Amino acid sequence: MAKKEEILEALADYQVQCNENKRLRRMQRDWSRLLHFVAEDTGDIFTMDVVKGEIVSYRPGADGTPDVIVTATSEDLCDMFWGDLNPSQKYLAGQIKVKASQEDVVRLDAITMIIWPDV
Amino acid sequence: MTELRKVLKLRTVISTSSGMAIATSCYLAGIQVATIVAGELAWVSILVAGFLCLLASMCFSELTSLYPTAAGIKLFIQNAFSERAAIIIGMFYVLLGISMVGAESFLLSSVLSSSVSLLGPEFDRFFWMLFFIAFVAFINYRGVLITGLVQDVLTYSMIAFLLAVSVYTLWIHPVDMAAAVAGPKFSANSVLSAAGVGVFLYVGFEWVTPLAEETTDYRLIGRGMLFAIGLLAVTYSLFTVAMYAGLTREQLAGGTPIPHILFGRNLFGGAGVILFVLMSVLASVTSFNSGLLNTSRFAYAMGRDNVLPRMFTSLHPDHASPRVAILALALFAVAVSVVTFFTGLYLFIILMAAALECFIYVVMALCVIRLRRKRPESERSFKIPFGYVIPVFTAVVFTGLLLGIFADTSRDFAGNVLFENYWVAAVMGAFFVLTAAYALAVVPVLKRKAAERSGKRERRRPGKG
Repeated sequence: MAKKEEILEALADYQVQCNENKRLRRMQRDWSRLLHFVAEDTGDIFTMDVVKGEIVSYRPGADGTPDVIVTATSEDLCDMFWGDLNPSQKYLAGQIKVKASQEDVVRLDAITMIIWPDV
Repeated sequence: MTELRKVLKLRTVISTSSGMAIATSCYLAGIQVATIVAGELAWVSILVAGFLCLLASMCFSELTSLYPTAAGIKLFIQNAFSERAAIIIGMFYVLLGISMVGAESFLLSSVLSSSVSLLGPEFDRFFWMLFFIAFVAFINYRGVLITGLVQDVLTYSMIAFLLAVSVYTLWIHPVDMAAAVAGPKFSANSVLSAAGVGVFLYVGFEWVTPLAEETTDYRLIGRGMLFAIGLLAVTYSLFTVAMYAGLTREQLAGGTPIPHILFGRNLFGGAGVILFVLMSVLASVTSFNSGLLNTSRFAYAMGRDNVLPRMFTSLHPDHASPRVAILALALFAVAVSVVTFFTGLYLFIILMAAALECFIYVVMALCVIRLRRKRPESERSFKIPFGYVIPVFTAVVFTGLLLGIFADTSRDFAGNVLFENYWVAAVMGAFFVLTAAYALAVVPVLKRKAAERSGKRERRRPGKG
């Protein structure tokens, strides 16, 4: 079980990896969404604000009305943000749940795929 | 628990479900139903097929309430049986499903070449066929999406038009039901045979299940499918009988692939042709577009899951559309369309699609039964009433319809034999063997390579390396 601090540390790295990847920024340049990440085992919720492909902020707690809600175990969330987990495989196995349009599901998965293509 | 900013409404679930089912090939399938059973009574078989699809939709509803995800069918089968079964059946379903484009593009090109002349009928037909696939592939490639509101307007306009034309036709061409009931063509056997083909009219209604993640209440998907099937049943029943009544005996006997265009001309002259051409284009583009959108995302996900080669995960650098998956599926659609163009066997594909639907409904019913035994405690926001009765009945009836399709002989309106339907079983069997061979021989290699790749990679998470 990952603690809230561990997930925040992972999110900090995720933000840097996303924002510094030019290919990803180009692909996501028209993608602005408010995302909620829910750790189902600990009950922690995190809010991430993406504006034109840039992660402008992330914080603990559920702020605003989201466009995307991702629910997984705290361990899976942490691994996903560190790039140690293929979110598609977990999603196809029903272990990561996403409430969003199909388009947003692909966009979300694209982040991991582009930053860490070997995962 | 927070809720999404933008959620789908029941109205859009219904329009998406019914919009997927309305296609140009449905007019021909309707006439085929009318050919098997007496034309005036085609509605009986269409309603029977609709009722059976309603039972199948209940299975989809229960499964969606258990696993509300776009990974839908694959996840249902994986949890009920095994991952290997899910890969084989999922790929078989998607690949054969996209081959329906062969019939759809052929029929749409027949519609367009009958009304817009370029260089000659054969060239025009070939041109329009390729243009149609290229156009839909292009808008998918560019990541253009049909919004819920546009889908609502298009679908409800098409349905309203078909209903209005049907009522008008039946008012000016009344049909003699009593004589048809007493006629030689109307029997329990012919009604059921026609219902097997009639299943084709509802093909695609279940493709709304991937939208479960965009709803507030998963039960909305089930409710939407029920309403959509009801709407389709009424629309097709009225329109097929009206079209039968509005065509001359010569036109029916001629075996035309574009009965609705002839019907439109009989009814309203040139204006009728234009209206029905427009309806055809809208129906074909919306259903193929949604089909390609769904199947390309499925192929992308399979690539990410190392079931398909990694090139299927390639995304467009600007639009994030799965470009290789779109291209591969479009090329497959072109190949099937070219075969259909040279053989003229569009009816063969329509029957194959009907059989494929029967097959997948059987699989879904079996998934319901199996998952109730395996995971009786799992939360289901919708559970089919009366225990196992409906899933078992659905599995048995659709197996019967499937076998009925395979055992039948396809004939034209005049009664001439077109082909023996066991060839449909043979082609489907060959596809199934191919996908099974792929799952057994290729997928393990892809999975092993992926495991080797990720094994070489250091974990980035601190303290977990």
